[in-house]
Amino acid sequence: MISATDLKLTFGKGTPLENPALQGMSLTVNQGEFVTVIGSNGAGKSTFLNALAGEVLVDSGKIVVDNQDVTRLPTHKRANSVARVFQDPLAGTCENLSIEENLALAIKRGQRRGLTSAVKKQYMEKFSDSLSSLNLGLENRLGDKMGLLSGGQRQAVSLLMASLTPSSILLLDEHTAALDPKTARFVLELTEHIIASQRLTALMVTHSMKQALEVGSRTVMLHQGEVVFDIAGKDRDGLEVKDLLGLFEKQRGLTVDDDSLLLG
Amino acid sequence: MLSDIAFYGALETGLIYGLVAFGIYISFRVLDFPDLTVDGSFPLGAAVAAVLIIGGWDPWLATGMAILAGMAAGAVTALLNVKLNILNLLASILTMIALYSVNLRIMGRPNIALLTEETVLTPWYELDLAFHQVPVLLFAIVALLVLVLLWRFMKSETGLAMRATGANPRMARAQGIATGGMIVLGVALSNGLVGLAGALFAQSQGAADVTMGVGVIVIGLASLIGGEAVLTPSTVVRALFACLIGAIVYRLAIALALNADFIGLKAQDLNLVTAVLVTLAIVLPGVRTKLTHRFSRKQA
Repeated sequence: MISATDLKLTFGKGTPLENPALQGMSLTVNQGEFVTVIGSNGAGKSTFLNALAGEVLVDSGKIVVDNQDVTRLPTHKRANSVARVFQDPLAGTCENLSIEENLALAIKRGQRRGLTSAVKKQYMEKFSDSLSSLNLGLENRLGDKMGLLSGGQRQAVSLLMASLTPSSILLLDEHTAALDPKTARFVLELTEHIIASQRLTALMVTHSMKQALEVGSRTVMLHQGEVVFDIAGKDRDGLEVKDLLGLFEKQRGLTVDDDSLLLG
Repeated sequence: MLSDIAFYGALETGLIYGLVAFGIYISFRVLDFPDLTVDGSFPLGAAVAAVLIIGGWDPWLATGMAILAGMAAGAVTALLNVKLNILNLLASILTMIALYSVNLRIMGRPNIALLTEETVLTPWYELDLAFHQVPVLLFAIVALLVLVLLWRFMKSETGLAMRATGANPRMARAQGIATGGMIVLGVALSNGLVGLAGALFAQSQGAADVTMGVGVIVIGLASLIGGEAVLTPSTVVRALFACLIGAIVYRLAIALALNADFIGLKAQDLNLVTAVLVTLAIVLPGVRTKLTHRFSRKQA
């Protein structure tokens, strides 16, 4: 379980560029939930994810992961419980390292690293098994440099890396946004498969309302650094994009003017 | 074209600068941390070893202390960067400048002669080898030993974490790697190797001098870049061999340039020759790919 309570964060405080990114954000994600997060540009989606991961520290509020207060901990000290896939397919892997070296980095996520060989024989079976589940033939290319793979392949491997060791929450930051539609669908299906088969708790930020309703078990919409609505279960079943927009307008008395949110 | 003594002399210094190139490989290539501390940690290693040797220490123990001193200097640079957020290049310049004073303090005077002292080389002169071949043998053993250790380290869990830190720090943090700690460890390791090089250089040259560090960074970079031009560094072990080969080729090229009478170069032209060689090493690989491009287009 992961819970964020009354998170506040302002970038560039006291400067003309002052930007209140989070203004009292609260959200609790229960074990086994798959939450999709939507919101227009500047709604605070990425900042919220970065705050959960530890990349930015909040000004006030509290973040608790599995009963441990992690509010002040930097990224690397949260990594044992927080796994992450970035929007940029190049960001989640090291292109100069081989596929097996990248996987070897991920299998020790959040654990002590010693002086024994990083790529161990006992990992190999696990590596090739999980890679073959992608059906991309990567299980025969363990020694290849990551940089030789396409963006979609790298994003698929990033997903595998994030799920190689158990985590309390998997953060997905618009991880299909930079891919072409066909590859995006493949990565999204893979995401659903991995989350379902390993019963992961996940938080997926997306730019597309359609996607937000199609996958996951709960949808949260952010606006100006706060949660505007939070729907799950029966309320969410059968809901369409126009219903979401209605919901948003009812809550805020505003209309959504972000085209990409409507068209995506 | 080269006398025996000039040839072995070039090998000897080449092997020592190979150690410097290993250090620069760790900072510049693995960590992507442009570190100029080496201009100070090279004479620091020499100073520490020289002072301890004339103080009656065992030369290997003195050399070990030189490594530790180099590591401490590297750690200072890295901490200035990681903890105080000073730009990496500037942090290394600050340490380098400070080390000049530190080195003078350690030695108590600008230079220390070691000609009559027992050094790491002394027992090796008993071997049935020519006088100028002895340092080459010993330094080749040291350089290869360091190469193997570094190679094993880079393949280890910690070494892989260090490589990830330099290549993609955001990803490294997400994997639970303390990137700041890795930078401190790496830059310390790098300068430890440079301290070792300084200690060995002082013992083979028979003196430690406070100015002996000037330009070490350029020679080390020249070796690194030159080696990479000769041997494409696609794997860690190739990159490490490239450092060693680059350093030796560089010293041989310098010796050749200075010894070949028909070119007419003299010892005072050394820095000019260095600058020209470094420029060539940087530019030539690009020219080569351009030429092959043009050639293949003509054929098509």
